[in-house]
Amino acid sequence: MLWRDTIRTARQPEMLVFAVVMGVFFLVLFNYVFGGAIGAGAGIDYLQFLVPGVFVITALQGAQQTSMGFAADLAEGVTDRFRSLPMSQVAVIAGRTLGDAARNLVGLVLVALLAMLMGYRFDSAGGAIAAIGLTTAVGFAFSWMGAAIAAKIRQPDMVGMLSMFWLFPLMLASTAFTPADSMPGWLRPFANYQPISVAADAVRNLCEGTTDSGDLVLVLAWMIGLLVVFVPLSVRLYRSTE
Amino acid sequence: MSSTKAPVITADGLSKAFGDVVALRDVSFAVGSGEVLGLLGPNGAGKTTAVKLLTTLCSIDAGSATVAGCDVASEPGAVRRAIGLAGQAAAVDEKLTGRENLELFARLYKLSRRQRRPRIDELLERFDMVAFADRPASTYSGGQRRRLDIVAALVANPLALFLDEPTAGLDPRSRAELWDVVRSLAAEGTAILLTTQNLDEADRLADEVLVIDRGHTVASGPPEVLKKDVGRDVLEVHVATNADLATAEAAIVQTAEAVIDRGARRIDIPIAAGAAQSLGLLRCLEDEGVRITDFQLRRPTLDDVFLALTGARPTGDGADTP
Ligand SMILES: Nc1ncnc2c1ncn2[C@@H]1O[C@H](COP(=O)(O)OP(=O)(O)OP(=O)(O)O)[C@@H](O)[C@H]1O
Ligand SMILES: [Mg+2]
Repeated sequence: MLWRDTIRTARQPEMLVFAVVMGVFFLVLFNYVFGGAIGAGAGIDYLQFLVPGVFVITALQGAQQTSMGFAADLAEGVTDRFRSLPMSQVAVIAGRTLGDAARNLVGLVLVALLAMLMGYRFDSAGGAIAAIGLTTAVGFAFSWMGAAIAAKIRQPDMVGMLSMFWLFPLMLASTAFTPADSMPGWLRPFANYQPISVAADAVRNLCEGTTDSGDLVLVLAWMIGLLVVFVPLSVRLYRSTE
Repeated sequence: MSSTKAPVITADGLSKAFGDVVALRDVSFAVGSGEVLGLLGPNGAGKTTAVKLLTTLCSIDAGSATVAGCDVASEPGAVRRAIGLAGQAAAVDEKLTGRENLELFARLYKLSRRQRRPRIDELLERFDMVAFADRPASTYSGGQRRRLDIVAALVANPLALFLDEPTAGLDPRSRAELWDVVRSLAAEGTAILLTTQNLDEADRLADEVLVIDRGHTVASGPPEVLKKDVGRDVLEVHVATNADLATAEAAIVQTAEAVIDRGARRIDIPIAAGAAQSLGLLRCLEDEGVRITDFQLRRPTLDDVFLALTGARPTGDGADTP
């Protein structure tokens, strides 16, 4: 299954380009447009703050691509045959989520290189590798959620529209781009503990070499939670044809 | 036909409803090794539903089914190892080439690396696909895609092959080629269940035909037997005016089985004795002064089968419960 998804991924380099361009977009836009305001307000070096956030957002975009790609897969008909084959049905979805994770990894490395060109500094090479690894894993967990949504809805355009509903709140009401201190009080609890925020904070710690395991534990808990819920759910939704 | 061996595919009282739409009600059949069963019915008859139930894609409401001796409901894994399925919509990966598609399915059937290559080459060769094997499937014509779809179902040498309307949308030549494929697979011992809306196709390929409508079995038997009931040719006569229609009706009143379509001003007359009888009837109509605008002698269609078997046109799209 992975064999198929690798060929397909390699045959669609535009998906990788898209993922990287989105990352670059956020990096450049946020840094040069909001960088001054947010950075000065919080008294921080905004680029140092932003880059780990962009990593996590890039991974989240990857999950959205999984969702839309899997919906397109389901619409194409080949998955109808997979259902009738003597194979593990988890593999159909896992091939996709793993393939997308591999693409994400490449995309993240490219975004990291660009960030370094813009003046970003990792604390250590080990920290950089750990940060990118963690981000890829977070993206992988979210891509199962994307797959479950796709298996339920099955219409690529509907899935695309729907993804806005989870993508934007998770992305913007998070500590990926802005510190929680600058948000209104009622939003702060959500912004502090939602998965993208804890992921962004944990990745930030790894990048900076700060030893604070609190966020790391939280993000691992979120990932396990997402996988426990969405792996069986997506398989069940995918299997049902009635 | 092998009546001594245990059948490869069996269905016993198979039933399925979607909400309050009865898709299949109490359908039973058996297909032996090397036999072809033709499932014949109009749109919405329940053909695809029957295929889905037997290939583990849909849960069975009532009744039971086995493939290669394994129960479809309780041993789906074993059933999937024994079957090949080419569904109504082509199920191939459009982004991969034909060869890669076969490679993919061979891998998924867990054929070893050493088995895969020769098997794929053999299939491509045998089904005349070499010329376009290395192009992405998205560039295929409808017939080429259909062929790839069916060949993909053959990768693992299935004991039972399910073909859902395999010739829909094919030109006469591709259709004839596909018929040859089906015949040769049956000759090698594959049990084949194929669905069709085409009586002629069922007649050519099937050892046994099951006619279904709105989920119910309307008739079953070898095609020769069914044709005894419906196999007569039909003389289709078109007339100029409603007055002509009335005259014609009076003239051929002795042929009780004639069917009159007033809207189309057309009379369908079953013919038992071929050309001589047709000519006689046409002359008789002409003598009565009926103005005939067109006529043709045609083979019975699915409509005629239903007419003969049930006295009614196929109801199709069984949205309402009987
Ligand atoms: N998933 C479903 N949900 C609800 N109704 C369904 C579903 N699948 C099939 N049906 C209904 O069951 C009936 C039989 O459908 P089926 O697809 O088996 O017909 P068919 O004989 O294959 O027709 P066709 O020649 O058009 O392919 C139809 O009335 C159809 O609307
Ligand atoms: Mg059908």
